[in-house]
Order: sequence, then structure tokens, then C-alpha cells
Amino acid sequence: MSKNKKLTKEEELLLQDFGRNVSTKSSLLFYCNAFFVSAVPLWLFWRVHEMDPQDSVILFSVMTLICTWFISYAYKNIKFQLKHKIALKIEHAVTREVNHQLDSKPETKKLTRQEKDERILWKKNNVADMEATTYSIFYNNTLFLFLMLIMSFYVARSFNPGVNYVMSTAAASGFVALLSTSSSATS
Amino acid sequence: MWKFTSLLVAFISLYGCCTADTSESAHLLVSKRVLNEYVVEGRDLTVSYAIYNVGSSPATSVSLVEETFNSDDFEIVSGQLSVRWQSIAPGANVSHNIILKPLRSGVFNITAAMVTYQPSEDAEQQVVYSTAFGETYVMDSKTFNRKHAPHVLDWGIFGLMTIPTIFLPYAIWYSTHSKYDGSKAKKL
Repeated sequence: MSKNKKLTKEEELLLQDFGRNVSTKSSLLFYCNAFFVSAVPLWLFWRVHEMDPQDSVILFSVMTLICTWFISYAYKNIKFQLKHKIALKIEHAVTREVNHQLDSKPETKKLTRQEKDERILWKKNNVADMEATTYSIFYNNTLFLFLMLIMSFYVARSFNPGVNYVMSTAAASGFVALLSTSSSATS
Repeated sequence: MWKFTSLLVAFISLYGCCTADTSESAHLLVSKRVLNEYVVEGRDLTVSYAIYNVGSSPATSVSLVEETFNSDDFEIVSGQLSVRWQSIAPGANVSHNIILKPLRSGVFNITAAMVTYQPSEDAEQQVVYSTAFGETYVMDSKTFNRKHAPHVLDWGIFGLMTIPTIFLPYAIWYSTHSKYDGSKAKKL
């Protein structure tokens, strides 16, 4: 039993690659993107809803940080859900491509089956990670901006701009985060 | 409000016509209208005056004086608040426009303008007041912009902001996705 519990280095790497936890680099990318998209509504509330940025600096800062947290949380969830599905879908194409590349060079042609499989796994993980990350950013950003526009220009348009801002951004980011927790969010 | 003003003008006109038939003198009716749909702080406000002579003789020494718009609240962009006409022939009308700029928002009581004239050569000077539109709300520019301005440039810049947030991630995803798409891979 204790033998089964002990994970090999390869298994640990595999778990790290396909686990829910994201790397520092990925996490930084998510936070930067989330911060940027959270700051986009400020432009509309300043220019279109005529809010004074100096008077609302605290409100703007707090809500931007809250939105950043919610959206980055959604990024991670969607990425985690997508990565498995994408890895399965691209397996065939990646295997063909890696095999083709390895066979075309004499120095890599004679690699063992295990080494080839490792390279395929590494490539598959990279491609799946890239696709899942970019799609997660695209999907969550689009959903957040769409919900924010609907909230601020239709649902809450009659409210005071400050209340409208809080309602729109909180509801949009909260809904994005909530949707990301659903197992069928992107299926 | 406008219906009421129109009715009032019609009533005064009728009254003026009736009295004009019985006396040889001029009778002036004065209307005062705001041509803007919205009265907004810092935006031009056009006020139009029309003076109708419904009497049977010319009105002479006609003078229109507008005292509603004080200089603290309204800036004169074009036109004069006091204007004179030598005479207005019977059945004729004259008009006068002024363009003002409200300097602050709030509710203003815009009352009637005063017109003085001589109904006939030997008659005493008469005073007549224009129609008035009473309490008028001058909208602040922020509220007006929020509700009515098109913000084309602002929306254009917002559109540009969606490029790095939406289109760039999509383009990167699409380039990878199309390369390893299952259906395409089979064709290789």
C-alpha cells in the first residue's frame, strides 16, 4: 500500500501538468490579464457614465481588485476543465507531428519508445496548456465584458453611476466566476 | 404646457380680433418660445419671440424688454435682450431671437417678456406681456451627456480595448487550435 502511495518523479510532473494548480508564470499571466480586463469598464464609467475618476478612485480601485480576483479564479477553473479535453483531442495530431519530426532527423530517429512517448507527452502538455490558457482568457473576458455592458447599459442604467458601476462589475465578475465552477461550463 | 400656451395665444388672438373690430387701434400679441428640446448647462439655448399685430392700425414705438435672464445665470451668446421696432403694420408680425448659454444647472423661473407700444397716434403707451414658460429645469451637462451624447469616440476607444482582451487571445487560440485540429490532422 505504501508503495502505491509513493509517486515517481514522472507522475509528480504529470500531476503538476494536469492538476488544478497553475505555475507562477501562468498565474502571473492570468492576474495581469484579469487586471487589464477589470480596468476596461473604468473607461466606460468615466467617459460614458460621466463618473469623476478623482472622486471615485477608492471605489474604482476596490472593485477592480475584486474583479481581478474573480476573473483570475474563473481563468484557472476554465483552464483546468479545458486542458484535459484538449489534451485528448490533440493527442493523435501531436503524436503524428512529433513522430514525423523525430523520424526526419537521423540523430532522433533511433530514440527508444519511452523517450519518444515522453517527448509526445511534453508536446501534448504544452499545446494543451497553451490552448486552454488562451481560450480561457478569451472566453472569460468576452463573458465578463458582455455581462458588464448588459448590466450597466440596460439593467442598472437608471441607477446612480456609482451604484451602477458596483452592481455591473460585481455581478459580471461574480457570474463569470460562478459559471466557471460548473463542470459543463465549456463543454 | 405647450398646448396650454397655444390655447392661451388663440384665446388672446380671438379676444384681440374682437376688440380690434370695435376700435381703430393696434393690438399686439407676444409669444415667447424656447426652441431647444433640452435646456442644458453650457449649451446654447435659443429663445424666440414673435409679435403679432392683430389690431386694425399700426403699432408704433414697439419695444421688447427681456428681464428674465440675469447675467449671473445666463450668458448672452447672440442677440439683444432689449429691441425696438418703429412700427408693426396691422396683420403683420415680427420676430426676434436670442441665443443664451445657461451658466449653471437647476430650476429657473422663466417669466414673460414685456412689450410696450403705442396703439394709435394719440393713445397712451400700452404694455403687453408675452407668454411665459414658468419653471424650467436646466439640465447639468454631465446628466445630459450621460443620457443623450452619442460618445462615438469613447465607444471607438472601448472597441480598441477589446482587441488585446478578446481578439488577441482568440487569435492565439485559433492559430494553435487550427494546427492541431483533429479533423485536419486526419487529412495529413
